[in-house]
Amino acid sequence: MSTENYVCIACPIGCPLELVHEGDQIVDVSGNKCVRGAKYARQEFTDPRRTFSTTVPIEGSNWARLPVKLAAPVPKDRILEAAQAVHQLRVQAPIRMGEVLARDLLGLDGVNVVATRSLGRA
Amino acid sequence: MRDATTCDVAIIGGGIVGCMIARELSRYRLKVVLVEKEAEVGFGTTKTNSGIIHPGHHTTLDTLKGRLVVKGNQLYDTLQAELGFGFRRIGELVVARTEEEVGVLREMEELAHQKGVPVEMWDQARLRREEPNLSRELIAALFAPTAGVINPYELAFATIESAVLNGVELWVDALVTAIDPVDGGLRVTTRDGELTAHTVVNAAGVFSDRVAAMVGADTFRILPRKGEEYMLDGRLKGLVRRLVFPVPNKVSKGTLIIPTYDGTIMVGPTAIDTDDRHDVSTSPEGARQIFDLVRGLCPSISERDTISEFAGLRAASDTGDFIIGRTAVPGFYNAAGIQSPGLTAAPAIALYLIQQMGEDGLALVEKERWEPQVEHPVRFAQRSVEEQRALVEADPAHGRVVCRCELVTEAEVRAAIAHGARTVDGVKFRTRTGMGRCQGGFCTTRVMELLQEELDIPFHSLTKRGGGSWMVTPMGEEA
Amino acid sequence: MFGRMNRRYDTVVVGGGPAGMGAALGALDAGAGKVLVLERDGEAGGILNQCIHAGFGLQYFREELTGPEYAERFLAQVIDRDIDVMPSSYVTGLAVDSEGTKQVRVLNERAGLASIEAASVVLAMGCRERTRGSIRIPGTRPAGVLTAGLAQKLVNQKGYLPGKRVAILGSGDIGLIMARRLTLEGAEVVGVFELMPYSNGLNRNVVQCLDDYDIPMHLSTTVVEIHGRDRLEAITVAPVDAHLQPQLDKARKVPCDTLLLSIGLIPDNELARQIGIQLDPVTGGPVVSSTLETSLPGVFACGNVLHVHDVVDYVTAESLRAGGFAGEWSREIRRPKDSIQLVPGNNVRYCVPHTLSPDREHTVFMRVKQRVEPARLRVGGLMEKTLRFVIPAEMISLKIQPEMLDRFHGDRLTIDIDPA
Repeated sequence: MSTENYVCIACPIGCPLELVHEGDQIVDVSGNKCVRGAKYARQEFTDPRRTFSTTVPIEGSNWARLPVKLAAPVPKDRILEAAQAVHQLRVQAPIRMGEVLARDLLGLDGVNVVATRSLGRA
Repeated sequence: MRDATTCDVAIIGGGIVGCMIARELSRYRLKVVLVEKEAEVGFGTTKTNSGIIHPGHHTTLDTLKGRLVVKGNQLYDTLQAELGFGFRRIGELVVARTEEEVGVLREMEELAHQKGVPVEMWDQARLRREEPNLSRELIAALFAPTAGVINPYELAFATIESAVLNGVELWVDALVTAIDPVDGGLRVTTRDGELTAHTVVNAAGVFSDRVAAMVGADTFRILPRKGEEYMLDGRLKGLVRRLVFPVPNKVSKGTLIIPTYDGTIMVGPTAIDTDDRHDVSTSPEGARQIFDLVRGLCPSISERDTISEFAGLRAASDTGDFIIGRTAVPGFYNAAGIQSPGLTAAPAIALYLIQQMGEDGLALVEKERWEPQVEHPVRFAQRSVEEQRALVEADPAHGRVVCRCELVTEAEVRAAIAHGARTVDGVKFRTRTGMGRCQGGFCTTRVMELLQEELDIPFHSLTKRGGGSWMVTPMGEEA
Repeated sequence: MFGRMNRRYDTVVVGGGPAGMGAALGALDAGAGKVLVLERDGEAGGILNQCIHAGFGLQYFREELTGPEYAERFLAQVIDRDIDVMPSSYVTGLAVDSEGTKQVRVLNERAGLASIEAASVVLAMGCRERTRGSIRIPGTRPAGVLTAGLAQKLVNQKGYLPGKRVAILGSGDIGLIMARRLTLEGAEVVGVFELMPYSNGLNRNVVQCLDDYDIPMHLSTTVVEIHGRDRLEAITVAPVDAHLQPQLDKARKVPCDTLLLSIGLIPDNELARQIGIQLDPVTGGPVVSSTLETSLPGVFACGNVLHVHDVVDYVTAESLRAGGFAGEWSREIRRPKDSIQLVPGNNVRYCVPHTLSPDREHTVFMRVKQRVEPARLRVGGLMEKTLRFVIPAEMISLKIQPEMLDRFHGDRLTIDIDPA
């Protein structure tokens, strides 16, 4: 049996998590104050994923950039690749918060690029 | 690059001395060009000057600086009325701690009488009544009411603006690389073009010995002396109302408390010889030295109150005095070695030098019309509520606040750019954007947007103060 | 309505960030009829607009939102409730007449320098960042030394990088977030340098902003010199000893063109200072009663102008309360005077509010001076609580119930946080 230690990133509390495993088999997770911590530790052990926010250039608005986020996380080792793909997007005002700007980024199911604010025409 | 051109007088260096000479020469029917290596005038020693207009009783009459300082001081009221820079005669105190130091005050009092500088000796009771926050250990002070504080960069900006208004040509980003004797005068080669001048004035500050060496007129050396200054939080406004000098001695080297024109208290400067003519770094030793000394004058001042710090280089020469006037090279004049009280003396330096140039044959024929006035910048924050109301009504851009710490409006920033600001620092030193507590954290972006808009140049081409001082770089795909 | 401003309101809120919007809603909930939010920027939302990362709203909206989403959702509620929000409006003064009516002087390009009447006022101006000057880093003064928040604005709103090779001083959350942002945008982040032996940011930000991108964090290390004439060329860093003094013999030079400062936040209290409101030298914010009322009757304060919070949800909760009391005030409802002074005891740097009243529940926010693990929190002799760990960077929130104060007859209540 071996253990892995993580810091939970599910909320600002940042619980120190301990995951006990036997090879690929997870035996126990402790240290979490809520269920999301346990879920996070399991995910982190089997397939670590991250989501991120960035901006894309927007035309026709008072602002130069539109903030966006990913609707679902991408594998941790593909973050930079995903960021580069998002940065290729070009959008035109007006945009509504929640608008999907691109679907299934990098061919990953459900990894949509979503506008995180509304921007009207200049 | 500019086309090669000719002129009557080329002035090398756009510090306060060069600017003053340019403006004085603009009274005459002469073609005058001022060449400056930085992006704007006043960006060298001038910008970092302590901003004190000295009464003149710290220097004896046997030096040129001792003679020019009193005259210079007297010229400031007219200059202020014409040019509208921040200037106020707040008076100075030289304070004594011991009977021995009181003796020194008496000598200074005597010198002041000799030079016609009004002074008043204050006893401890008077000193405590006037400046209750100074150290209880001080026993007497020599008060000189004609001492003033000034925003030196504003003076440089307004002076060059006045000069340009009266026909002087200003070249910036124009570092001088060579000066050669040619038919009809001297050829000045700069990074921005060539210029043949009948007369050349060397007002190149800490680089003036190098400029002089270009024509073999290097009879002196500049020994740059660094001074660090510490600007304190605006909360301390009113703690000390007059300039406070300790009695001059080897340790103090003139470190003092300066209630600046804008009210913010500044302490410094140090005096450290340096070989590096670009060395404007501040140091922990400098801070320690200043605050140790200043605490002895005013115990409630603390290092923790610092909001910003900076350093400048005095263009001190190995002669210890100003080096002003003709040289062995015909047509080449120096206005060099200008250290304290150079700012005070600057208007007098210009008159003194131009008189010599006239004696040497420069035709000083006055123009029929010479405009002494420049438009005075509006300082929204300093106006009364009624005046502010009128300003916004007249120009809605006064209703848009750019710098929230110092309450600077968009109209002020646009005006600063219209009057010559080309850089973020150029706007800052004209309007005070970014000089307050947040040090530009909130307003830098807006100032850059306004510069971009008014100058019609890309956002990423903007600089802090010209040269390689870039502010931002384009992101990924546009890089 | 957005962009509307009348001459008279029940409650005027200064600042349109999360605190201001929360206060406006709180005032309305408490029965204030007409509420105005004055925002100096061109849009409401405050600093949230540039905080494009996720991590906001877990408590208030029960989901994790990005800053702009949190701001937009909140603003929608504010507008829905018919609160007036006036952007590009800068408050230049505040006066109280003999009747107790407040006159708020506001500068706006369309309205000019207008005077707005209000029964109660809420201060919600937020905070600003500490700068190079406040920690006095020696060296030259080149371009390229800027606060993390300014860098964030340049990157997220203007679309420009502050530089290509970036060092970060201080491990505050904005600095950590910016380390990740800059990396995603193609800049190289050479490291984060933290004076203290622990991070000042949230642990999860150390994980997802630094560890994920192999950005090193150098604890007990600080910047001792800045190099470069026009633009930053390098910094000198040195480890610090137990007294936080740099060990210069172990200093090394780190080449970089940008230094971000993430060294703390300070309440932006110029207005409060100008009108003579009593400030707490420790928090930098006003001294407030349990109704979050300042020393000027009818003037309340909340959010980062009161004391710097870690999480926006705390700001919102506090602002709803402050707004509520301001709304009551406008209806001439007066709460009983506080009878208990709250005193920061062992290892407590500050607590807010500064006084309590035994008639109702209170939320007390506090910060410790030093890390303790585990810790015992004691409120006078009234209650005790064990905490897993406490660090200065993480605010502690404590509920105090009226039943508990029933048994208390003193006038000073001391809070201590000692090793357990």
